[in-house]
Amino acid sequence: MTQIKEVTVGDSLAVKKPARLSPLGFFMALPPVLVILVFIGGPILIAFAFSLGFTTGPNRIVSLIGQEIYPKTNWWGTFDAYKSVFTDSRFAGNIKATLEITFVATTLVIILALGMAIYQRIIGGRLAAILMALSLVPLFVPVVIAAFAIRTFYDGTGFFKTIFYHFGINFPTLTMTNNAVTIGVIWTSLPFAILMISSGLQSVPNALIESAQDAGAGIMRIIATIMIPLAFVPIIIATTFTAIGIMGSFTIPYFLGANQPTMLGVEISNFFGPYNRPQHSIVMAFIIFAAASGIAFFYIWANIRSAKQSGRI
Amino acid sequence: MFKNLLKKKLVSAITFSTVAALSLGISAPSSQAATTTIRLYVSADTNILDLWEKTLVPAFKKEYPNYDVKVTFDRNGANDAQTLAKITAAVATKRDPGIDLIDGGMTTTLGTSGLLFPLAGNLLPNLRMVPKVLVTNGKGGIPYRASTVLMAYNSKNVKTPPKSLAEVLTWIKANPGKFTYNAPSGGGSGYSFVQTVLDSQLSASEVQKLQTAADKETQAKWNKGWDILRGLNKFTYGQNGTYPTNNAGTLDLLAKGLVDLAPVWSDQIASAIKAGTMPKDIKYYGISGPSLTGGPAFLGIPATGKNRSAARFLVNWVLSPTAQNLIVAGNMNGIPVIPASKLDPVIGATVSDINIAAIRSPYLSPNAADLRTAWAAEVPGK
Repeated sequence: MTQIKEVTVGDSLAVKKPARLSPLGFFMALPPVLVILVFIGGPILIAFAFSLGFTTGPNRIVSLIGQEIYPKTNWWGTFDAYKSVFTDSRFAGNIKATLEITFVATTLVIILALGMAIYQRIIGGRLAAILMALSLVPLFVPVVIAAFAIRTFYDGTGFFKTIFYHFGINFPTLTMTNNAVTIGVIWTSLPFAILMISSGLQSVPNALIESAQDAGAGIMRIIATIMIPLAFVPIIIATTFTAIGIMGSFTIPYFLGANQPTMLGVEISNFFGPYNRPQHSIVMAFIIFAAASGIAFFYIWANIRSAKQSGRI
Repeated sequence: MFKNLLKKKLVSAITFSTVAALSLGISAPSSQAATTTIRLYVSADTNILDLWEKTLVPAFKKEYPNYDVKVTFDRNGANDAQTLAKITAAVATKRDPGIDLIDGGMTTTLGTSGLLFPLAGNLLPNLRMVPKVLVTNGKGGIPYRASTVLMAYNSKNVKTPPKSLAEVLTWIKANPGKFTYNAPSGGGSGYSFVQTVLDSQLSASEVQKLQTAADKETQAKWNKGWDILRGLNKFTYGQNGTYPTNNAGTLDLLAKGLVDLAPVWSDQIASAIKAGTMPKDIKYYGISGPSLTGGPAFLGIPATGKNRSAARFLVNWVLSPTAQNLIVAGNMNGIPVIPASKLDPVIGATVSDINIAAIRSPYLSPNAADLRTAWAAEVPGK
């Protein structure tokens, strides 16, 4: 939300003073750009070259140590490592698990966050404030601790298992299944989505809601035709960030998930460490990167849309 | 010249290991000056970190106050690949890798690649007490303690635990849901069980091949073993063939009474029982035909480490009876690499029946990495 405000402020200034190239602005933007280029962009390029089979220069040592390295066969490299990953019997299951968990968990997170935010916007009051504060607690619990707590809660001697045991019901053990992973990632992603969406809904003017009420619109209609469309950009931002975060998660699936199929985050770490196949893990990292870029597309699209609506482009 | 003479004289008196240790202090000139800091890199589980930080380092510093030891910890060797790369690059360019001494699984890999400081016998006198076969297997790494994987069972529920691997497999099928082992990628105890099942279907020479060289051909004969392990999926604790992630996961299930039988590290189970985090009902023993694997842990001194003489001095002290007593009797519950007869008589008695040279060793690291990835493809969820 703050982002959008900044954009509008900058925008209104730009209307007064026509944009021109300022060397000061360029140098102010330079440090973060340089840091990204040198410390992130460079290694990504080197890793990408390694995934294509460039095993010399900065990739020499890792190629010496790693197993099943595919060196380049053409001047531009080779897709052998990609082929090897795609034909691995585990890969289809892993990518399916990753996408399924991402889709299900993101959908649930957004529905839950919308519910919470709408409740707070329309009904408000002390209870809403308390619930809101409670829903932000996961933000302050380290993921490792949360994962361990969730594991203890759902495992063979966990809370539900024990309670239901007294009623003679055998509650399933959820740990070591991908259902537990879904529960875990929802728990960790919820606060951010709630913050994002509720601040988006707060900016919907009261006048609009009240005039709709005066015209006889029901609560569902107000939500569907006024609140959600006006908070559309924050909702899209929350969705994309949640989905990208879940897709790349490691700790939760590592602690709570099955051995196979598992999420790609865990599999990347397995291939890099215990299996000693660094090239494969980099290939998988680029696959996740591609998928995350696909999601990020919606983020950019939403931003452009809102910019168009406000007449900036 | 004078120094050499001095060294020679002292070498003749080396049978007294403490004297020999002192001689090292003299021959390492840097130790005479201000404090020398030995940079130790521990790439292992937390109990090994405790062994160094709480037991060995304080005792060493108390005896030799002009040395300091800075410990860097990498849990379960998560960053081994990067560390290996760093040391490899440093030695190749003849620079200081920032590490004087390594305790971790990568030591033998470094040794095989010739990146460790060569062991000069007269500079490491206590090494003479260590069985030769262990020293040879270290490929330049220095064996300093051993541990092995054992079978742990809940004596409340299991009166007569299965004695051999075949009996264990029958027991698992007769007691569904009461056995588990962790994924080989996450910890050595599960790894050991998997390798032992695979080994039971191989000939002795084939096992030896996998222990000494990367060998894809022999790996193809793992298939029978995978069938057996897949067959256990229905009978182990996890649903649909799922297994705990790491050593701690296995111990957790055992402590909560969810499983009655599981492979565990000898040192971890002994420490857990001592600390009270494992119920007293849990007992442990070795199985036969074939036995679970184990072996020595190796220390390595990178060839270009800045303080390599100081590191060598520390290693020699670690091999001394004083330090070995601490390894056996402290919270570590390790197996000593020097004969039990050299230890304190009371402590020595607890380990006198263990023949460290006879412990079955794990595969060479490339084969071990192949085993981990093959297990993940062949066994869980099938």
